[in-house]
Amino acid sequence: MWTDCPKTVAAHSRRDFLLRSALGFGALAGNVMANPYARRSPHFEAKGKSVIFLFMHGGPSHIDTFDPKPELNRLHGQAIPKSFGKVDFQFSNMERTPLMGSPRKFKKRGQSGLEISDLFEHTAGHADDLAVIRSCHHDGFTHVTGQTWMNTGWSRVGRPSVGSWVVYGLGNESDNLPAYVVMLDGGIKAGAPAYGSGFLPAAYQGTVLRSEGPPILNIKRPEGISDREQEAMLSVLRDLNEAHRAPRADDTELAARMASYELAFKMQMSVPEVTELDRESEATKKLYGLDDPMTAEFGTQCLMARRLVEKGVRFVQLYSGGKKGAEVGWDGHNECDQNHEFMARKVDKPIAGLLADLKSRGMLESTVVLWGGDFGRTPFTDGAEGGGGNRNGRDHNPYGFTVWLAGGGVKGGQAIGTTDAIGLKAEADKVDMHDLHAGLLGLLGLDHKRLTYFFQGREFRLTDVGGEGNLLKRLRNG
Amino acid sequence: MIRAVMVGLCAGMLGLGQEAREILSRHCLACHGAAKMGNLDLRNVKSGDAVLEKVTHMVTTKAMPPGKKGLSESEIAAVANWVKAGAPGLGKELEAKSNWWSFQAVKRAAVPAGEGEAIDRFIREKWQQAGLRPVRKATKRELLRRVSYSLTGLPPSEQELAEFEQDGRPDAYARQVDRLLASPRYGERWGRHWLDVVRYADTGGFETDIYFPNAWRYRDYVIRSFNEDKSYKQFVQEQIAGDELFPTNLDLDGGFKIAPEKLAKLDASIATGMYTIGPVYHEAALFGGQVRYEWLTDAVDTTGEAFLGLTLGCSRCHNHKFDPLTQRDYHGMMAVFAASEEKEIPVVSRFATFGFKSGYPSWIRVEELKGAIQRIDQKARKRVVDLVRKRFTVEELAAYDVAVDKRTAEQRKTAARVEAAMTQAGLLENAEGKEADIPLTEAESQEREKLVVELGRAALKANPVAQTATVLGPAPVVPKVHLTHRGDWRSQGEEVGPAVPGVLARGQKIGAEEARRSALALWVGSEENPLTARVMVNRVWHWHFGKGIVATPNDFGRQGEEPTHPELLDWLAAEFMESGWSLKKLHRKILLSETYQLSSEASEANSKIDGNNRYLWRMNRQRLDAETLRDAVLAVSGELNLKMGGRPVVPRLSPEEYTVMWARNQWPESLDESEQARRSVYLYVKRAFPLPMFTTFDAPETSQSCSRRENTTVAPQALTLMNGDFMVKQAKVLAGKAGDVESLWRRVHGRQPTAAEKEKAGRIANREQLALVMLNTNEFLYVD
Repeated sequence: MWTDCPKTVAAHSRRDFLLRSALGFGALAGNVMANPYARRSPHFEAKGKSVIFLFMHGGPSHIDTFDPKPELNRLHGQAIPKSFGKVDFQFSNMERTPLMGSPRKFKKRGQSGLEISDLFEHTAGHADDLAVIRSCHHDGFTHVTGQTWMNTGWSRVGRPSVGSWVVYGLGNESDNLPAYVVMLDGGIKAGAPAYGSGFLPAAYQGTVLRSEGPPILNIKRPEGISDREQEAMLSVLRDLNEAHRAPRADDTELAARMASYELAFKMQMSVPEVTELDRESEATKKLYGLDDPMTAEFGTQCLMARRLVEKGVRFVQLYSGGKKGAEVGWDGHNECDQNHEFMARKVDKPIAGLLADLKSRGMLESTVVLWGGDFGRTPFTDGAEGGGGNRNGRDHNPYGFTVWLAGGGVKGGQAIGTTDAIGLKAEADKVDMHDLHAGLLGLLGLDHKRLTYFFQGREFRLTDVGGEGNLLKRLRNG
Repeated sequence: MIRAVMVGLCAGMLGLGQEAREILSRHCLACHGAAKMGNLDLRNVKSGDAVLEKVTHMVTTKAMPPGKKGLSESEIAAVANWVKAGAPGLGKELEAKSNWWSFQAVKRAAVPAGEGEAIDRFIREKWQQAGLRPVRKATKRELLRRVSYSLTGLPPSEQELAEFEQDGRPDAYARQVDRLLASPRYGERWGRHWLDVVRYADTGGFETDIYFPNAWRYRDYVIRSFNEDKSYKQFVQEQIAGDELFPTNLDLDGGFKIAPEKLAKLDASIATGMYTIGPVYHEAALFGGQVRYEWLTDAVDTTGEAFLGLTLGCSRCHNHKFDPLTQRDYHGMMAVFAASEEKEIPVVSRFATFGFKSGYPSWIRVEELKGAIQRIDQKARKRVVDLVRKRFTVEELAAYDVAVDKRTAEQRKTAARVEAAMTQAGLLENAEGKEADIPLTEAESQEREKLVVELGRAALKANPVAQTATVLGPAPVVPKVHLTHRGDWRSQGEEVGPAVPGVLARGQKIGAEEARRSALALWVGSEENPLTARVMVNRVWHWHFGKGIVATPNDFGRQGEEPTHPELLDWLAAEFMESGWSLKKLHRKILLSETYQLSSEASEANSKIDGNNRYLWRMNRQRLDAETLRDAVLAVSGELNLKMGGRPVVPRLSPEEYTVMWARNQWPESLDESEQARRSVYLYVKRAFPLPMFTTFDAPETSQSCSRRENTTVAPQALTLMNGDFMVKQAKVLAGKAGDVESLWRRVHGRQPTAAEKEKAGRIANREQLALVMLNTNEFLYVD
C-alpha cells in the first residue's frame, strides 16, 4: 500500500523500526530493555545532547525580567493607546485597565550589554551565555492552555510533550535512569499531560522525581522486605520466568519483561544514588544556594538536574511555583512585583549556580538550558472585578513573552525578536511555539520535520505544520 | 475472464463520457465538486475551458489525485481522450463517489470450499496461498484461560478449569463459551472496551477538571447493553439519538412504578450521555462560542471514529488530504449536533420526584447552618477590617471604596496603600497567594464548634437529592454553523446545513427542520452503511485476537491499514447484520472457530513466511491490560467485589501519588473498604489525574477515542508490581488465603506446581513474598 508513496515509506519504516526495537529482542537482555530508549543518531550534527527545561509555573512577567520597556514606564497609569490594538485576556478588559510600568531596574549586562532586570541579578551574571527570545507568542491565555502550548506545541490536552519527542528521537544515554525526568514543585495545573507521551508509546512519558519521600513512584522496597529478601524474590521470579519462557523462546516480549525487572532494580539502586547530594562539595552546594532556606528547594532540583544529565539522562524538566512552592506560583494577579520578588529569589541563585556549574564542568556545551513559563504578563494592571484584582497585579499575556536558552551551541549575549513598545504583543521576528520547538529540536540535531509519528491516519510532528522560521540559525549564529 | 470482457464491453457501450464521468466522480469530485477546492468545480466545466488542459496535465503527471499512486494508465488515457473530445457530459447532478474499499457496500463473499466453519475456511485459504501450516490446537487449560479473559476479563477459577478438563462431552467448549457469555462479567469486560472507544471519563479535564455527576449512568448503560446483547444497530442509534428515536415521559401521570418499556426508553436517552462526557475546556467558557465549538468538534470526531472508523478530525481545518472528506462534510456533521444541547432529566417517576421536593426543607436547614457559621467568620473578619481601616483617613478610605475599575490614578495609589495593609493583616492574598486565619473570640469559637456539630447532624438527616441523568435534548435556539478558517472558531465562512459526508451519503439528506440526530442515527445504524457493521466486527476481532482484520480499527480510510482478509471481514459483517446485529452470536462464531482455538506456539517455518502472524497461523500471546491485570489480582486474592454499577469508586492513593495532584479535594476517596476491591471498570476516571498504575500499563489517554492500546514493556511496570501498595496488600491477602505452596499455585495459575517449581518456591521462606512473586510471573501476566 505504501510502496508508491516515498514520504510515507520513510515514516512507516521508521515507526516499524521503533516498534520492533521497542519489542524486539537481540542477544543481550540488557539491550532489550534499553530498546525504547536505545541511543539513536540525530538527523544532523549538533552540540546539544540533553535538555534542562526550567519552567516557571504561573507565567513570569517578561516586562519585569528580560524585556525592558521604558515607554511603558513613561505611560504608567494611563489608558492603553488605541494604536496597540485589542486582544482577549482571561480576566481583564484591556480598555478599562491602566498601564503599569515596571518597578524593576534594568541594566546592561556582560560584554554583550544584554538588558536584564534586578530580579535576576545572579542569572544576569551569565548574560553572555543567554539567547533571550523576546518575541514569543501563542494564544492560550489560561494556565492549562499556556502550559500545554509550551510543553506539547498545541493548545488542547493530549499531544506528546517536548521531552517525549526528544527521547523518541534520540533515546537515552543512561541505562539505569529514566530518560525523561520531571521535578515538580507539588502539583501543576496542566497535570500529567504536560509531561505525558500523548499518542507516543507510554515509555516516552516523563517520570516524576519527587522531592519528598521516595524520589520515584514505587522505587522503594515495600516495608518489611529486606534488600536480601528482595534479591531472593527476583532470583526466584527470574527462574520461574525462565522456565515459562523455555517453550516460548521465540517471544521476545517475555524476555523483554524479564529484562525490565533487571532494569527496575538497577534503577532502585541508582536513583537514590543520584538524588543523594552528600557527595557534592560544600562549595557546589553553596553555589546552588543549598545553604539558604529560600533557595534550597529549587537549588536542590537544579543540582539534581545537573547530576542526572551528567549520568546521561536526556531530558530534565524542573518546575518552580507548583502547588507546594506557593499557592499561586508566578501567577502575579495581585502585587505582581512582590510576588515576583519572592519567586525570583527562590530561583535566581540556583539557576545561576546551575549555569556556572555546567560551564565549569564543560557540560554547558552539550546541555541546552531553556527557561520559560505558561506565558508572560500584561503591561496593564489586572482588571479582574470582585476578586481583589487590580492590586498592582498583571494578568496572563500569551501574545508576547520571553523565554531564554543557553548552552548546547546557543550563541549567548543576544536578544532575538521584540515586543511592541509596551510589551503587549510580539512584534519583530515573532517566534511561536512551533518555531521554538523546532529550534530546540535543532539544537539537538533533530529535524522537526523528520521527527514524525504515525497516528490517526497521518504523520504527526511536534511542530504540527509550523516551525518554518529560522530560529535555529539565529540561536546558533546570532 | 468473462467478467473482464463484460466490463470492457460495458465501458465501450457507455461511451467515452460515461467512463470519464465515472473516473472523475470517484477520484476528483469530493474535492473539486461542491467543495470547490482550489476554486475548481468540475461539474461546471464547459467544453473548451482552459482548465481542462490542466486536468489532463495533473492526472498525467500524477500530481492528482493526491497522496496515492494516482490513476491507472488506462484511466489517464480515458480522461485525456475525454478532454480532447471536448469534455462531454459533466453536470450538476454528478455526485462524488469513492473507489476506496471500505466505502463500498458490504458484499457477502462466497465461503471458500472445504470443511468446517466459514471463518476457518476463509483463514485456511490464506494459509494455503502463503504456504503456512497451522500450529497445534490449544490445550483445554490454555483455551479456558484465554476465553475467560477474552469474554469476562477474569481468570477461570481452579474449579472451573478442573471441571472443563473433566468434561468429555463434544460440546464442552461451546458450553463454556455460553456460560461466559451469560455472565454479567461479560458486559463489564466488553463495556470497558467500548469505553475506550468513546473516550469515557468522569471529569472534563484541564485545570478545573469539572466533575460529571452522571457519567456513570452512561457507563452502566453500556455494560447493561452488552449484557442484554442489545442489537448493535440499536446501541449505535441510541447513543446518537436515543432521546429523539425513543421518547419517553417516565410517568407524568404520577404513580409509583414506571412501566418497563418506559424504563427501556429512558435507557435510550441515557445513551446520549456519550456526548456529554468528552473533554470540557471550562476556562474557555469566558469566551462564549468556544466551549460550544469544542463540544461540536468532539461530537463529530467521536462519532466518526467510534461508529464509522473514520478520522474526520483532519477535515475540521481543511479538506482531508487522503480521504474524500471535505471541510464542508465536517461542518455538515457539526450542524447535525448544533440542534442539540446537554440537559438533565429525571430518572425516577414523577411521584418520586415529588418526594425530593417534599424533603427539600431539610436542605434549607443545612444551608441555614452553613450561613450561621459563615456569619461568625464574617463578623470576626469585619473586626480586623475595621482595625485596619482605623489607621487611614476618611479620604484614603473613600479612594479605597471606589470600585476598582472606576478609580482615578491618584485613587489607585491611595487604595494600594490600604490594600497593602489589608494584605499584611491577612485579609487579602499575599504574594504567596495565602490568606491568614482570622482569630475568633472564645465565645465565637464555641458557638462555631456547636454549629458545626449541628450541621453534621442536619446533613445526616437531610433527604436524598433528586436523581437525574445528563443527556442530549433539543436546543431551544439552534445556532447556525459556518465554515471556519483552519479550525479557528472565531472565523465565520459560509453557512453549512446538517448533512452526512457526501461521499458516503447515498442520497441521505438531513433537513434543517427534521430531527437531525435521528436522521444521522438511522443513516449510521443502517444495513446500507458500508462502515458501521464492518468497523464493529473488526473491533470484536481485534479485541479477541489482539489485532484486527483491519489493523487500524479507528481508521478505515486511506491512511489506515487495508484488511488482511477482506472477504472474511465482509462475510462477518453480513452475518452480523443478518443475525440482528447480535454481538453474542458474533462472539460465538469467532470463539468456536478453529482459528481462535489454535495454540500460541511457535513455528519456525511459519515465522519465515509470516513472522507477524498476519494470517493467524497461531494465536497471538497477549499481556493483560491495565484493568484486567488489577481485576485478575483481586480475583486470585479472593478480594474481588462483584457489585455492579453506581457512582465511580475513588481508589485509595499512596501519599507519593497524591503529591503531584493539583486539586486534592477532587479525589474524594471511597471510604468503604470493600469498594476498594470493585472491578476496575467502576473506578473513577479523572482526566487530569489518571490512575498511575493504569497509566503505567498503557490505559488510554481520554482526550479522544482509543481503538487499540499500546503494549509497552518498561521498568516502571516492574516497580509497580513489585513495590506498589496495591500489589503488596493483595499479595498479603492471597498468602493469607492460600495455606501452602500448592494452594498458592492453584489460586494464581490454576494448577499444581511441578517439583522443580516447588524447589524454587522453597527459596523464599516468607509466604507473602512468594505470593508477590507469583503475581509478577509472566505466566500470570500473559495469556497464551
